Amino acid sequence: MRDNSILRCWRALLGVLAGFFGVRSEAAREQDFKEGRALHFVVIGLLMAAGFVIFVIFLVRWALSLSGV
Amino acid sequence: MGTIRTIRTIISGLSLVLLPFTARAEWTVNLSPGVTEVSRSVYDLHMTIFWICVAIGCVVFGVMFWSIFHHRKSKGAKAHHFHEHTLVEIAWTLVPLGILVAMAVPATATLVKMYDPSEADLDIQITGYQWKWRYTYLDKDLDFFSNLATPREQIGNEEAKGDNYLLEVDRHLVLPTDTKIRLLLTANDVIHSWWVPALAVKKDAIPGFINEAWTRIDEPGIYRGQCAELCGQDHGFMPIVVEAVPPEQFQQWLAQVKAEKQAEAAAAEKSWTLDELMTQGEQVYLRACAACHQPTGTGVPPAFPALKGSPVALGDVGAHIDIVLNGRPGTAMQAFRDQLSATELAAVITYERNAWGNSTGEAVAPSQITRILEGNAETAGEGAQ
Ligand code: HEC
Ligand SMILES: [Cu+2]
Repeated sequence: MRDNSILRCWRALLGVLAGFFGVRSEAAREQDFKEGRALHFVVIGLLMAAGFVIFVIFLVRWALSLSGV
Repeated sequence: MGTIRTIRTIISGLSLVLLPFTARAEWTVNLSPGVTEVSRSVYDLHMTIFWICVAIGCVVFGVMFWSIFHHRKSKGAKAHHFHEHTLVEIAWTLVPLGILVAMAVPATATLVKMYDPSEADLDIQITGYQWKWRYTYLDKDLDFFSNLATPREQIGNEEAKGDNYLLEVDRHLVLPTDTKIRLLLTANDVIHSWWVPALAVKKDAIPGFINEAWTRIDEPGIYRGQCAELCGQDHGFMPIVVEAVPPEQFQQWLAQVKAEKQAEAAAAEKSWTLDELMTQGEQVYLRACAACHQPTGTGVPPAFPALKGSPVALGDVGAHIDIVLNGRPGTAMQAFRDQLSATELAAVITYERNAWGNSTGEAVAPSQITRILEGNAETAGEGAQ
């Protein structure tokens, strides 16, 4: 039971990552819709969006420190 | 006949593209390499990105045309039906991503350079007005307005247009070369934008905000620009002229301007005849007031009132002086006390009271205006001293 939900979260994570990248095979997409839970996708999606913003902030900081500002 | 002409047109078009590089240096369609380190790196960046785009265009259209030709119907080609191809999709996502990152690296380097106004040797405040620029040399006790100098006759097509039509001003922004200059941009009324292509500076001037930019000019010369933010009726009539001179010459210029300012103050003290005031007043009026109140004094009612026959121009002198010096807040009528000298103010007021059939016969003495300006300045300036 527990294993199953971890597996589901893991698949949702892969699905969201594929969504960020913009490529997902039809078979995987169908499986997501059949077995996945909407809540997992929404929560993981929001977390990853926040993560992306933080990544960009650090990227900018790093670029500025490289150029000595 | 027609086809021959078409072929000729195409050939002459092609030969333009194939011109040797030297001839193309004169070609002004491209971005200007400019006269500063930043403007040159902006130019290089622009050319790098341009050639990347050309290469992408060649590859994409080349593959497309080749495919169309090679798989043409007459050779019995059949379309291959498939829904998805994950590998190809990944490739066409990763390749553009790589190209974008490769372009972001030089672009970021240039942007960082452009945004670093630290350690400047000279600070200039630039204020946008409807429709002129004001330049304040901070710590140099120098402050002036720069107005369009193109004659109205050229604008009205009554005279042939000059070489620098709508790109000439009465007072240049004189700057020293080989000096890091910080520009502080703001506006008095609406949003303007200070744009001089040769310096690669284009920055919005926003009321209530101060934007920073900087430049370091390598070559002496005259560099022209324009307001780049639609700011009303005369948006196209507020050009910018930067005059870059070697640092020693800049110091001489500063001294000369200060001497002129003192001479002007002395001139305000002498007594002026009505005729003298009228002659100078007409010049000032055409330069500073005619855009709104019109050369004939009839204005553009209801936006800009007529001064011909106006109760203000024919009535109490004090009220007339007051509106010209202090403007009318909330309307397009600005305060001219900082824009014009005491003599110019006296002359233009005299002119308005005696031109176009307004015949009060009254002359306003420059010294009278000086007294008013000094009186107000004492009370207004106390906090600043
Ligand atoms: C940008 C447009 C503009 C310019 C330039 C301008 N004015 Fe005005 N002026 C106005 C407007 C608008 C009013 C009406 C203000 C109001 O609503 O009370 C006005 C009003 C006046 C009045 C009062 C007229 C009346 O009958 O109420 C005088 C006098 C005047 N201006 C003089 C000048 C002088 C002198 C100059 C040049 C040094 C000048 N103006 C430049 C827009 C302008
Ligand atoms: Cu403007």
